[in-house]
Amino acid sequence: MEGLKKLAEYVEYGKRQEAKSLAQKLLGENISPDTIVKEGIMAGLNALGERFEKFEAFVPELMVAGRAAKEVLEVLKPKMTQGPLHKIKGTVVIGTVEGDVHDVGKNIVAMVIEGGGFKVIDLGVDVPPSKFIKEVKYHEANILALSALYTPTRLAMKGTLELLRTEGIRDSIKVMVGGAPIDQNFCDLIGADGYAPDAPAALKLAERLAN
Amino acid sequence: MKEDKLYKDRRYKINELRAKNEKMTARERTLKAINFEEADRIPIDNWMVPEIKKRCQEYWGCETDNELLAFLGVDVRDNYGPSYVGQEFKKFDDGTVADLWGVRRKIVTYGKGTSYEGIFKEVAWSPLEHMNTVEEINSYDGWPSPDWWDYSKVKSDCAAWHPEYFVLNKGDRLDRTAQLKPMMYLRGIEQTFIDLAENPKIVECIRDHVVNYFVEYNPRVFEAVGGEVDMFMMGDDVGGQRGPLISREMWRRYFRDGFRKYCDIAHSFGLKVMYHTCGDVYQLIPDFIDNGLDMLQSLQPRATNMDIKRLKQEFGKHLSFQGAMDIQQVLPLGRAEDVKKMVKYAADNAKPGGGYIFCTSHNIQADTSMENVVALFEAYHEYGGY
Repeated sequence: MEGLKKLAEYVEYGKRQEAKSLAQKLLGENISPDTIVKEGIMAGLNALGERFEKFEAFVPELMVAGRAAKEVLEVLKPKMTQGPLHKIKGTVVIGTVEGDVHDVGKNIVAMVIEGGGFKVIDLGVDVPPSKFIKEVKYHEANILALSALYTPTRLAMKGTLELLRTEGIRDSIKVMVGGAPIDQNFCDLIGADGYAPDAPAALKLAERLAN
Repeated sequence: MKEDKLYKDRRYKINELRAKNEKMTARERTLKAINFEEADRIPIDNWMVPEIKKRCQEYWGCETDNELLAFLGVDVRDNYGPSYVGQEFKKFDDGTVADLWGVRRKIVTYGKGTSYEGIFKEVAWSPLEHMNTVEEINSYDGWPSPDWWDYSKVKSDCAAWHPEYFVLNKGDRLDRTAQLKPMMYLRGIEQTFIDLAENPKIVECIRDHVVNYFVEYNPRVFEAVGGEVDMFMMGDDVGGQRGPLISREMWRRYFRDGFRKYCDIAHSFGLKVMYHTCGDVYQLIPDFIDNGLDMLQSLQPRATNMDIKRLKQEFGKHLSFQGAMDIQQVLPLGRAEDVKKMVKYAADNAKPGGGYIFCTSHNIQADTSMENVVALFEAYHEYGGY
């Protein structure tokens, strides 16, 4: 459908005002929020993800697209009468680990994941392991997403995983990790469930882990 | 230097290797390398966080930082520039302190209670973040002035190292010559990225304030050092782990002219230019060369496309390199053998024809074991000789 295609394009290019008006209009035409998420927001984010992979889009473009996706989702939320979308995809608790206050990458990931239809609880920066555990329990989250920028602070990820085990809830939650000093090796080393190098990949990973 | 047997034994290997390799002064060696000539061995530069510096001094029995650098065979000496004599930096009740640009920073501790505990100064408040117009930004009262510095001692500071060592005008980490980084501090990182995507006038306005400052400040520094500095270092992170943060077109549009000006000014004083950027900047390297860069610093091996072998092959005729030692995986998580292998790889590939200085791709971080730090410096001397 033409309108949804246009919406995808607005999201992809971060045109948030146009995207929000169009989403409103599509709702008025009785297009379901689920369809709008799938064929508008997600299609836009996926197209951007592909351009990002090919070095045709960079961080500024991710930033404005993630913001547009998130704002369109806000427009849709009141209309999601058949159960909020997060029931479909899952709840993600996300934060930057203890000792680290860098949140740009984490914020982009949070925006893109939320724009992609997850409920996201963002705990901010310098989050101690005990707080992650408390919030995971409280929100009955499916996924815990941990971010770090410095190599010394990434060890706090390990500490958080250990506390999940001590608390006996490691098996009931998937843990994904990301940030500049993180790679698949480090992810395996600390026993996390998945690593994503960037926001589009993080959304795909969250979808895989939630299933 | 402590002369107990324990320390002497620990210093033995490096001393032996140095005696075997070294036939020239640190400065001669490094000048050769930056001019694409082979010296007696690959020169060494050293970047480490204070926590590691302290551990190194304790381990090798060095009583001062200078003793440590001299023992390790570090050839480059850093000069941090003139002394700040402007108004006292404001302290706030929330514990934050304003810097040169009026950006407020706070101390953040990481690894609390562990062996790798340390601190970083982090941005806590960006003064331009909530401004919406060019007029507001122009009327910001915190723009710094080159008059806030006392340039009178910088020459004697540098002359104390010359002529034996190679002197690098490095500037303070937080005030280093740059464009994008001060913009991020002043405006907030996220807002800067959004501006880059949709507010070109604001980007240009902040950039002009930043560039104009350094274009006035740097010639005064270079004039004041009176030939006692060999190289000027600027630093501006434009690379991410898997590619540049911004497109080449965007870099050209906003940052090329400033980059070129910074290089031209240094060259007009006879200085070479080193540029630090983290991350993968492979796509931008031809532009860096075209706009005057002499030496690229960091070569972060874990970033995509920054393999020293490839960079040397593709750009080594026009560009020299410093860095390439991995602080993200090998040094903190690898074994001593992995560290040695990494040093040998860089030496084998970057040694021919000079143009390379050994260094870590950023400061050795507090999560690195002494065993690996020892392996690193021993390997520099083991594999660096010609």
